[in-house]
Amino acid sequence: MNESDSELENALASLRPRPPGPALVQGIARELDAPSSRRGVIIAWTSGLSALAAAGAAVFLMLASARSPQGPSYELVRAEQSPAAMQLLSPVQLQDGSYARPVRVHWENTTRWEDPRTHARLINYRPNEHFALLPLETY
Amino acid sequence: MSDAHSEQDWRAWFAEHGARLRLVARQWTRCEADADDVVQEAFVRFWKHQRHLPGNPNALVITSIRRAALDLLRRSDRRTVRERAVAADADVAEWFEPEADPRLQALANSLPSLSAEQREVVVLKIWGDLTFDQIGEQLEISPNTAASRWRYAMDALRKLITARTYE
Repeated sequence: MNESDSELENALASLRPRPPGPALVQGIARELDAPSSRRGVIIAWTSGLSALAAAGAAVFLMLASARSPQGPSYELVRAEQSPAAMQLLSPVQLQDGSYARPVRVHWENTTRWEDPRTHARLINYRPNEHFALLPLETY
Repeated sequence: MSDAHSEQDWRAWFAEHGARLRLVARQWTRCEADADDVVQEAFVRFWKHQRHLPGNPNALVITSIRRAALDLLRRSDRRTVRERAVAADADVAEWFEPEADPRLQALANSLPSLSAEQREVVVLKIWGDLTFDQIGEQLEISPNTAASRWRYAMDALRKLITARTYE
């Protein structure tokens, strides 16, 4: 039997490695079926904050648009959002032994309102700060 | 952060590739149980932290497997020499499904007889589906060295198969 490298390579490729045992398959399925990974938790957490902020803004707009005959009637003149400033903090070790780098993101939302009748101006300055953990690979 | 493989069914992906990944892990572990642990740890680590990365996940998973295997070896250095010898001998012949073709069976039986350096190159090329460049990166050797080990492995396998076929 004297085969060329390519014949030998094809023969090797036709060998079938034994499949993983049920314990391994079940272990991986368990991990993949876990309700949420840490990354998922962070995303859900920040999404929750965003939803809360959106709800607050909606209430503010509702109150602003609720006109009273004597009170001012503000209209939105301008909305601005500053560039986000990101601050990377020193890595920390989590309870499960893995490492993560805390990240703080800061930006400002500013809206300017004006009552066309009295020309009264209102500036709503709203700083925003979100905090999250970025998982780190530690090899 | 966008997920480059958001539509990927990872359970199906593992069902398709799990057998060859386990064989790859087996090259860097002392027994089948260790290989299972390493594959699970490495695949879950990849799935949690790297599955969103673009490109073919295969090389990333194999890198994760190698790192998990090296971590396990470092952790288990306190095992006794006896434990290692028993584990190494016990299941070396169980890497592949049995083959009806005697030449293929001889080939399957011969692979574990290669030196560890040659064998890991063969396994990474055939079942890891890596190029010599990628193998070089994994093993921290040059692509030429990887190709050279491959050629020596082919020569050795030819001799081993011939010997086993006429046994």
